[in-house]
Amino acid sequence: MAENKSDQLELKFVLNGKAIHVNAAANLRLVDLLRKDLGLTGTKEGCAVGECGACTVLLNGKAVNSCLVPAGQVQGCEVMTIEGLATDGKLHPLQQSFLDHGAVQCGFCTPGMLLSAYALLQVNASPSVEEIKEALAGNLCRCTGYKQIIDAVRQAAG
Amino acid sequence: MIPKIQFVRPKDIAQTVALLAEHGSAARLLAGGTDVVPGIQQESARFSGIEILLDILNVEELQGIKLENDQLVVGAAVSLADFAANPLVREFFPVAAKAASWVGSLQIRNRATLTGNFVNNAPCADTVPPLLVYDAHIAVRNVQGERLVKLEEFLVNPYHTQLKADELVTRIILQLPKPNMRGDFYKLGRRRGVAISRISLALLADISQGRVQQMRIASGAVTPIGKRFRAIEAAAAGKKADAALFKELARQMGREIIEMSGLRWSTPYKLPVVQQSFYQLLESVCSNKEA
Repeated sequence: MAENKSDQLELKFVLNGKAIHVNAAANLRLVDLLRKDLGLTGTKEGCAVGECGACTVLLNGKAVNSCLVPAGQVQGCEVMTIEGLATDGKLHPLQQSFLDHGAVQCGFCTPGMLLSAYALLQVNASPSVEEIKEALAGNLCRCTGYKQIIDAVRQAAG
Repeated sequence: MIPKIQFVRPKDIAQTVALLAEHGSAARLLAGGTDVVPGIQQESARFSGIEILLDILNVEELQGIKLENDQLVVGAAVSLADFAANPLVREFFPVAAKAASWVGSLQIRNRATLTGNFVNNAPCADTVPPLLVYDAHIAVRNVQGERLVKLEEFLVNPYHTQLKADELVTRIILQLPKPNMRGDFYKLGRRRGVAISRISLALLADISQGRVQQMRIASGAVTPIGKRFRAIEAAAAGKKADAALFKELARQMGREIIEMSGLRWSTPYKLPVVQQSFYQLLESVCSNKEA
C-alpha cells in the first residue's frame, strides 16, 4: 500500500461521511487540502504552528490540528470538518447551544471549538467544567473570555 | 505550504531503513508531524534540506504497548495521548503518564509520539525526565541491524542525539520499577495548558521505615538537556526522609544547576523556583511513607 514516491498524491478517504478520491500535491497540509482543493473554508488557519486550534478537525474521531497533518496522512482515514456537524441543514445541539449562549463573537475560533467539544462529548457524555476546559485547552479564543463557550458545552452535554 | 517534497509511506521497518540508507539526510521520518511540519513551515535550520517525508505513523511494527517479562515495550509510533491513557502506563509508570498528558494540547497529543518528544531532544522535552528516572532504553534500527541504547546515553546535546540520518527508533523499553517506588512529575510553564516547560522535575523514591532506600531524580528545561542528578541520589540514599534532608537536597540541586548551566538571565527566577519546587515534590512524594 506504499505509494510510489512522488510529489503528487492520490488520496482516498472519508470526508464528512462520504468516500472521496482526490489528487493533490504532496507538499500540502490537510488544512490546505480542505480549504483550497476542496473549498471547505469552515476550517480556519490561525497560527500555522499548532498552537491556536482554529484549524481543528477530527481525524478518525480525534481532534487534531489540520495545519500539522501532511495531506498524505489522511489516506484511508475518516475526516470530519465543521461542515459535517450539522445534518440535513439542521444544527447540531452544540451549534445551537453556542448560539443560545452567545459563544460566537467574531466566529474565527468557533469551528475548531465546536469540533473539540464534539470530540469530547463522543467519549465523555457528561464532562465536568475541568474536563471541558482540558478538552478545549488547545483552542484559543480572543473574544469571549471562554465562559460562554464552556456554558454552551455544558448545556449541550445536558 | 512547504517546498516541493515527496511523500512516501513505507510499509514496514525494513523498507523504512532501506529508504533512509538510500536517501540519508534528504529523507526525514514523519510520525505525528507536530515538530516536522511547523519546523519546515518556519524554515527552521533543524528541518532544512528535506526532500522526502517517510510517513511511519501507521507502520504496524511500531504500534502497541505491551508488558513482556517485567518490561513495558512501547512502539515508537505510539501517540502521547495513547501512552498517557494506557492502563499499564498509568499503573506502573505514572510519572511518565502525567508528563505525557501535559504536553501541548489534546490536538497535539493525539498526533505527537512519545518517540518524537525525546528524539528531537529539546531542552524542555517533557517526557525526558520521567523516561530518565525509569531508566528507559530504546531500540535503534538501521540496515545493519538493531541495537539497544540507554536513553540517558542516547541524548547528547540540545537537539542532538546519537540517532544517525539512516536510523529509526523502533521501540522504548521500560523496566518495571519496584512496587514500593512512588513518584511524581512537576511542570512549570507560563500557563497551565499548551505551554513549553520552564522547569520540569521527575522524582521516584522508595522510602521505608522513614529512610530513603533509593531515589531517582531528573529535571528538564533547567540544564542544556534533561538529566539525572546521580550525586544527589547518592547523597539521599540511606538518609532519614525528613524536611532537613529535603532542604539539603534542594540546595544541592541549585548548586549543580549553576555549575552546569552557569549564571543565566533566568537564574534569579529559576533557581529559587527549582529549589522550592523540588523541595515540595520531595515532601509530597516522600512523606507518609513509614513502613
